[in-house]
Formats: sequence, C-alpha cells, structure tokens
Amino acid sequence: MNVFVQTLGFGVVSASIIAVGAMGFTIQFGLTNVLNLSFGGVMTVSAFVAYLTEQSGINIWLCLVLGGVAGAVLTIFLGRTVFKVYARRGTRLFEMVMVTLALGLVIEYAVDAVSRDQIYSLSFPEGASYHIGAATLTESQLIIVGIGIAVFVGLERLLHMTRLGKALRAMAVDPGLARSCGIPTNRIVNATWLISGFLCGVAGVIYVLNALSVSYTTGVIFLPSIIAAAILGGVGSPRGAVLAALMLGLVTQLVAAAGFSAYSSIAAFGVLVVVLLSRPSGVLSAAARKVELTL
Amino acid sequence: MGHFSFYLSTLVVYFGIDLLSAWSLNLQYGYAGVINFAFIVFQAAGAYVAGAVVLGPDTGPNSYEHYILGARLPFPLPLLAGALAGAVLSAVIGLFAVRRIRRDYQAAVMLIVSLILLQVVGNDVHIFNGQNGITGIPRPLQTALGLSLPDYQWVYALWVLAICVVLYVVVERLSRSSWGRSLRAIRDQEDAAAALGLNGTLLRLEVFIVGGAIAGLSGALLVEFIGAWSPGAWGYAETFVIFTALLVGGVGNNRGMLLGTLIVPIIVLEAPSFLPTIGYPGLIDAIEWMIVGLAWMGFLLVRPRGLLPERRFRAPRPAAGVGARHGLAGWVARTFTLGRPELAPVAPVAPAIGVVAPGRASNGEATAPVSPAVPPAGARSGTVGSEEQ
Repeated sequence: MNVFVQTLGFGVVSASIIAVGAMGFTIQFGLTNVLNLSFGGVMTVSAFVAYLTEQSGINIWLCLVLGGVAGAVLTIFLGRTVFKVYARRGTRLFEMVMVTLALGLVIEYAVDAVSRDQIYSLSFPEGASYHIGAATLTESQLIIVGIGIAVFVGLERLLHMTRLGKALRAMAVDPGLARSCGIPTNRIVNATWLISGFLCGVAGVIYVLNALSVSYTTGVIFLPSIIAAAILGGVGSPRGAVLAALMLGLVTQLVAAAGFSAYSSIAAFGVLVVVLLSRPSGVLSAAARKVELTL
Repeated sequence: MGHFSFYLSTLVVYFGIDLLSAWSLNLQYGYAGVINFAFIVFQAAGAYVAGAVVLGPDTGPNSYEHYILGARLPFPLPLLAGALAGAVLSAVIGLFAVRRIRRDYQAAVMLIVSLILLQVVGNDVHIFNGQNGITGIPRPLQTALGLSLPDYQWVYALWVLAICVVLYVVVERLSRSSWGRSLRAIRDQEDAAAALGLNGTLLRLEVFIVGGAIAGLSGALLVEFIGAWSPGAWGYAETFVIFTALLVGGVGNNRGMLLGTLIVPIIVLEAPSFLPTIGYPGLIDAIEWMIVGLAWMGFLLVRPRGLLPERRFRAPRPAAGVGARHGLAGWVARTFTLGRPELAPVAPVAPAIGVVAPGRASNGEATAPVSPAVPPAGARSGTVGSEEQ
C-alpha cells in the first residue's frame, strides 16, 4: 500500500512536468494549428539556460524565470520568422510539421555542437523530505507540483477572465470571424507564441530540476509525452491537457512500479491509440476539414 | 586503392538500401499520401528478424545475447523473413494509423509509435537484447563463395543493386497500375474517389503493408551487410532523412529517388564518415544533421516539388473493351484489388443507358449502369481527378 501511495506521489510529480509542457503546447497548437515539434528543441535550450544559470550560482526561482524567458524569446523569434514565412507560402499541415521537425533537428544538433556532445549534471539541492500520508517527496518535487498547479490556475484565469484570453479563445474557434470582430489577430498570435514559449521553457527547467542532468536530447526524450497529453486532452484545452498529463504520469509510474519499467512509456502510447480509436471527434479529418495555419 | 574500393563498395550497398527505403516511402507518402513517420521501425523489424533467424536459437540464460525468433535459416530465407516481419508489423500498426485522420495528427501518432517502440526494444533485453542489440550476424554465403573481403563487398553491392532493379520494376509498375491510380485518387480527392467506390482506408492499409514489406527487406539486406543491429540504428531522425530524400528527389517520382538518395543519405550523411574527423568526436555528425534539417526547410521554400517533380501520368489505353492490364502489373493489380469495385475502363463507344462496365464488374460486384453523359474519352482513361486532364 505504501508503495502504491509513493507511486502516486511520483506520478503526480511527473504529471506536473508533462502538464506544464502540454498546456503550452496545446494552446499554441489550438490557436495556430502548427503541430510544433521544435518544442523539444526549445525545451532543451531552456534546460541549458537553466544549467548555465545554476552554474553561476543564481537561485532556483530566477533560474526558472530565465529559462522561461529564453523559451519565450526563441519561440516568438521562430514563429515570427520561420513559421510565418512558410505559412505565407501556403505550406500545408504535414509539410509544416516537417518544417518544425527540421527546425527541431537543427536546434538539437546546434546544441549538440555547442555542448560538445556531453551530458551535464546539475546540483540543485533536493531539499528536505516531506511526508504526505504514506508518500515521501523532496522539496524540489513539491516545488514542481506547485509550479504545475500555479501554471494551470494562472492559464485558466488568463483564458477565462481577461480580454486577451477571450480573444485567444475566439481566435482558436474561428480566426476569420475573430478578425472581422476587430480582434488584433496578429498581436494575439504573438501573445500565444510568448505564452507557449514561456511554458515550454519552464517545462524544460523543471524537467532537469527533476532529472538533474541535461544533454542535447533532453527535450526530444520528453516531447512524446507532451504531444500525447496535448492530443489526448483535446487540442486547445489546458484542462484536458492537465487531466491527460495526470493520467499519463500516473499510468507510467504505476506500470513501472508493477515491475514493467521497460513498458512504462508504452502506456502513453496505448492510451493515445485507444483515444484515436474511440473518441474520433476533433481528430478525424472530416470534422477538421477547414483547418488552416493561422499565423 | 584498396581502401578506396572498400569505401566505394560500402557506399554502393548503402545507396541501394536507402534507395529501397525511399521507394517504399514514396509508394506510401508520394502516391498514397500516407504519412509513415514510423518508417524506420519497419526497416528495424526486418533487420531484427532477419538477424535473429540467421543467428540460431537463443541458447538460454548463459547466452551473451538474448532474442526471440532464433533460427538458422539458409541464405535467401532471412530476406523473406525480414520482408514478412515488415509487412506484419505494418498490418498491425496500419490498422489504427491509416484511418482518415488529420495529416499532422497522423504524423504525430506515427512519430510517437516510432519513439515508443524504440524505448521498448531498447529497455527490454528479452526481445532483441536491449540497448546492445544483436551482433555477430554472419554475412550470407561468405564462406561458400570463398572470396576475399573486398571482392565479397562488391558481390554484395551487385546483389543489392540487382534487388533494386527488380524492385524498381515492381514499384514503377505498381504505381502505374489501376491500384496505383486509385492511390493517387484517394490522395488528391478522397471524397470524389470514395464516391466512385474506392475504399480509402483499405487502400492506405494495403500500401502501408506493401511499403512495410519493402522496408523490412531493406532492413534485412542492411543487417546482413553490417552484421549487427541495435536501437542506435533506428532513431526517429532516420525516417526524417528518407523524407528529406523524397522531397529533394521529388515526391511521387521513383526516378527522382535516385537523386534524392544519392544527395541526402549518401553524400551528406554517409560519405563524410570516411573523412578525417574535425573538432571533437560527434561534431561532424551534428553538422550533418543540421544540414539535413536545413535541406528540408530550404527545398520546401525554393523547390517544393523536388529536383524531378512528379510526372503527369497518362493511363495506357485499354485494349478494346477489356480491362487492359497485362503482365506483372495486371497480376499485381488484380491480386491487390481483390473484391473491390474499381474504376473499370468503360467501353470506348458511348452507348445507350444501361451498359454495364466491363472488366471486374463480372465477379459479383454491383454493376453500375454508365450514364451516357460521361464523355467516353474521359471515362476510358480509367482515372480520376486532375492528373489526367
């Protein structure tokens, strides 16, 4: 029983990490329809920024902010330059996915070249251990869960209680109509890049905070869970992304605790397949026929 | 000179194997629009199975490598086993992955499939020996031929090229057959094609399996050449390389694949590995991958149809009144289209109402009366959409 509760605790921690990334991924994907596989590369860059700031002795919170800002700056730069160029040329959905993947590869291997193909370990203090029921979590793990909750609450409030959020949701439903209602769509897209980039950066930082090592593959390893959570939760829905992340995190840890650690990540895959087969609305192309890139 | 000959023969083998991969993916993506982002998984399946069926049975807990499907099959059978493995895995994955879902979702789902399978095979040592992979796979007929290694390399290169020639004929014929035309029809106008009675999902599943078999064959050829196979050989980025070769060569053009394969996997990725290293180990690799990524982005911007764009295909005129599919193409097309109503060629004379389409219509399919309003010239061609006109 204790093992079970402990596993649930670890599941919530990994769910928090996935959720932060998936929330960033899903609002950007929902608004622009770019399935952005360069997200992993940006996450790696932020993780390295966190590593460098940690090396220079800056505290963990500033580390988080700097990592997030790095993600936001890089993402809006890519969005305004690279993605916009292809969108203007009428690049179709799949080719755009490949552009983002190519970009992800370029970033990944640029980081590889700069980091001299090495794995770097971080020495964040894990802090004291806390007992919550039968589960024992370290301070940094609790911080990660706290960040996950804070991001979720903040994003929900932003989407449902501010003008920006209203405009964002309107654009996600119908960009053309939103524009004719006087919503400055260009600025909203920019805001989306910034928010999703920031969350992407924060996700990268808390991922290394938990894993305590960083290499050029960090983001790429982490990306599939994020995409799975975003698709599973319904594109453009932070609530769905959080629920899906919780499910993925718990399932992954439970399967690992049951002694099938090799198969822990296949759970994510299995769940995604089940969803594709059973809940096709929004996923089937007939329902999403008019989908175009919005940049 | 000896070194150079060795180097060249190795490159020729890789070229042939990558060419098979490119044709396989071109069949799936170029002709049918199936985004097989797990392509490398099917090649890996072929490689693992072909390797395991040569290595002999796993000798149990004391063996230094563990794998399933151990056997000792004689020479050509491992290749067939590899192709079969690719086809079977394609059928399993294709059952859920080729449904009519958004194209970017399909890409993401395939990518996840690829990454997850990589993790499972890498972490579970009981399937194919985990991260270490299977090693010590003997080269086929090396002792029987009794050649020196450089000579053997050239023999193997010729063998791979011979398979390429055969596969070129098969792939080209397949893509010109009525089956190939149906594929392009569902790729370009799925609704219109469905209205004509084509089952898009089934066609995609079929092309997925055919492509998977070719991918498995290419993996089998590769593993017999390099003698080992491990998760390091089939990262998702390898699939991206083949996609880039497609884009560079020209999506939907089998001859363009020659150029694309020569440029992307061979000149950019393989050839430099024989050059002296610069910087620290791994720097050249990093630069190569950045070039591949930039190649995709650049070609999409500057020359999205590739060096040799897809040709406008003209269907052959059928012999009078009969569905004119002769020889191999006819056989393959008939085999692959069993029991499906298809775009049967219509008799060249525009008749009165109620004429039955000949050809396949006779074996129990619903026979639709052909409206006289259909112009005979267009109807006769047996194809749909903008390709013909």
